Amino acid sequence: MQYELRTQVIEAKRKTFTNLTARFGDRPASRYEEGSIDIQAVTNFHYRPLWDPEHELYDPTYSALRLTDPYSFTDPRQLYYYPYVTARSHLHEAFASTLSYLESRSLMEKLPEGWKAALAQAVIPMRHYEAGAQMISADGCRFAYGTTIEQCLSYASFDRIGTAQLLSKAGITLDGGTDSLLGAAKTHWLENADLQPLRRYVEQLLIEKDWAVAHVGLDLVDQMLYGLLYAHLDEAALLGGAGGYSLIAQHLSGWFADHRRWVDALYKAWLADAEHGESNRAALAGAVARLLPGATDAVAGVARIIDGHLSVGAEDYVTARSAGLAGLFAKES
Amino acid sequence: MAAPRKLSMKQRYAALTHDLDWDFSYVDNAEAYPYTTFEGIKIHDWSKWEDPFRLTVDAYMKYQAEKDKRLYAVLDSFAQGQGHLSLADAKYLNAMKLFLQGVTPLEYQAHRNFSFLARHLNGPGPRFAALCQSQDELRHAQTEIHTLSNYNKFYGGFHSWHHQHDRVWYLSVPKSFFDDAVSAGPFEFMIAIGFSFEYLLTNLLFVPFMSGASFNGDLPTMTFGFSAQSDESRHMTFGLEAIKFLLEQDPDNVPIVQEWIDKWFWRGYRLLALVSQMLDYMLPRKVMSWKEAFELYFEQQMLGGLFKDLEYYGIRPPKHVQHAIDEKEILSHQVYWTLYQFSFAAAFNTTTPDSEHLQWLAEQYPDTFDTLYKPLWDKASRMVEGGGRHFARALPQLCQTCQIPMLFTEPGDPTTICQRHSIYEGERFDFCSDGCKWIFDREPEKYVQAWLPVHQIYMGNCGGPTVPDVLAWYGLQPGDNGEYAGSQEALDWAAWHTTSHAPAPTPVAGN
Repeated sequence: MQYELRTQVIEAKRKTFTNLTARFGDRPASRYEEGSIDIQAVTNFHYRPLWDPEHELYDPTYSALRLTDPYSFTDPRQLYYYPYVTARSHLHEAFASTLSYLESRSLMEKLPEGWKAALAQAVIPMRHYEAGAQMISADGCRFAYGTTIEQCLSYASFDRIGTAQLLSKAGITLDGGTDSLLGAAKTHWLENADLQPLRRYVEQLLIEKDWAVAHVGLDLVDQMLYGLLYAHLDEAALLGGAGGYSLIAQHLSGWFADHRRWVDALYKAWLADAEHGESNRAALAGAVARLLPGATDAVAGVARIIDGHLSVGAEDYVTARSAGLAGLFAKES
Repeated sequence: MAAPRKLSMKQRYAALTHDLDWDFSYVDNAEAYPYTTFEGIKIHDWSKWEDPFRLTVDAYMKYQAEKDKRLYAVLDSFAQGQGHLSLADAKYLNAMKLFLQGVTPLEYQAHRNFSFLARHLNGPGPRFAALCQSQDELRHAQTEIHTLSNYNKFYGGFHSWHHQHDRVWYLSVPKSFFDDAVSAGPFEFMIAIGFSFEYLLTNLLFVPFMSGASFNGDLPTMTFGFSAQSDESRHMTFGLEAIKFLLEQDPDNVPIVQEWIDKWFWRGYRLLALVSQMLDYMLPRKVMSWKEAFELYFEQQMLGGLFKDLEYYGIRPPKHVQHAIDEKEILSHQVYWTLYQFSFAAAFNTTTPDSEHLQWLAEQYPDTFDTLYKPLWDKASRMVEGGGRHFARALPQLCQTCQIPMLFTEPGDPTTICQRHSIYEGERFDFCSDGCKWIFDREPEKYVQAWLPVHQIYMGNCGGPTVPDVLAWYGLQPGDNGEYAGSQEALDWAAWHTTSHAPAPTPVAGN
């Protein structure tokens, strides 16, 4: 048996907001679209910034990388705030269960020879790298043109501080519940010669005026560093009996795969732009040519620390990845 | 050796947050933080910033995800059950149109500029607090859009809110307010938005809309309001911490902060003129009068409470506060009378108050309403009865600072329009009040840049020379504007509430 609900049917006068029907035709819009497209003001600004009178409050010329229509880029993940916090809430919960599992089985104490030192000196100090990445992304959130781009940067910024906290928690677990390993990791970040190229690189990205170039610079390191620490080293951990580390790394490699979806989509949109595509390509290739050597040095330093404790071919991995990135924005022949 | 001691909550929080920061040595600090010196604020020790919440990212995500899950469940069920039909009256939605057109874009701007703070403040404590607030403000912008999106499907005035925020005359009031804050330096922004807007005036801005929703059957907006409450209390705490931090860092900061309080109180108070008329005129079911709200939320709570605490730092109440107090009996009436006459060019409807409404206004404003304002409404009603609904014919002059039409009256004389002016570089600029003139005179080079909608219409930058040209450029659709009585909205509402359309209250079991 079924029961029938009688409901009042009133025909809607509109399917969604005018800007969306103008853009996509007369169809209902998703919550991502309603909350992300055309939200930023684009015209009739009242005052120029006191701290930068050359620009409007929101201004495409804050970067050399431009889109004719900023909304030609949309987040392939369709993330607006609600699904974003829901997804990250799951990530942090899953990470917490991993840590409590590691703690309950004392898996950090059982890591094979060399692993604890490698993690303490090469992986845990990356919490500072992530904190720097937070600031770089937050700058993009303010200065990017258009809500769809800045929204991705905004979430990325919050993710970075979240990842810094995940790594810090892992450091506390690795040390049996104290923060002395975190203190030592900070000293490494500040003083270890092999980490100085990375720290210098991050500090210099912070004074990069063009938010998008800074973001490309960050991505160059990300691609090598995340590949090294959370893919290459993860493989080595599984083969080398350090499964405890793999349980941690899976969360970071999972996040990075998700993050790269929008970064790649943005590169594609920049390169495909009818009006700015060529100049974007030149700006991107120029940024890679200028920044990749420093980025490679930076990650090679991290790799040297790992190679000093474990025979996992970390530096060779970075050299190979760097070579792959050199042709990133080269013109297809 | 004894087992190492585990971390206390406080140590754990520090390890997860402040300790992530480091002192730069490869780049110059002044180059890494280029925006925190030009305003003259002196900060000696950023670590003195207190985080009242000790919030970490995992806890933030958990709370926010749970809150949004509940909120979106309400939005979905309200939409599915045609909940809009149980509003007090379709007229109520004029308040929400104003909210979406005027307030939601400000939430979004706050999102962007708190991210500026999350990058450009030198200390990790305030940076992280600003980062959380930036996320919250994006949440508020998006949840407001999603909350009101369902009304847009059935009612006018919601459909082009961002387009209109950049263009329509009365929306340049909130837009210029926030542009003013975002174009200032980071410390002024903290005082303008973090303190003045989010703390000093939030109960007068945000709460009346949410309470109005609750009194008028707008369950989604009320749920949004409750859902935003815990975010707002964090924001209020940020604002209070910001002002205390600046005042405690150096005595030289005190006069700078005092001037910002003076400026941003008046800037915010003028913006609230739009809220005053919403409370007294737009809500079919009244929450409280503007006068009562102002006395409770501003005079008692802020002047009687907050400013007593700030005295310790050498801070006195805002410069033009007495003028605001004196205006509480007349403000909403003057503003709504103006909107009534110019609503042919607005994305909401206005109408003459009915007899019950007039009675309520007389009770709330015994010293002013019957003598000063009731005669205007009586006259307007007579004109409507005679078939000639009154609209203004000329465009109003706008105040150069707050951009509200020059409708306010001389202090102590509610029948004489107040007009002030300044000469800057040989040109005359007009103001609605001493407060707005004072703000202009501090920074004339800033306020001469203002995009004044009426000037722009006369300069031919708004679609063309005629009213229909301008309204088309505003993106108004038929029925969005003008008189409510007899409007498409009123007709639809009546039709949807005839007996044949009455909501079916109980499910009927069938076979």
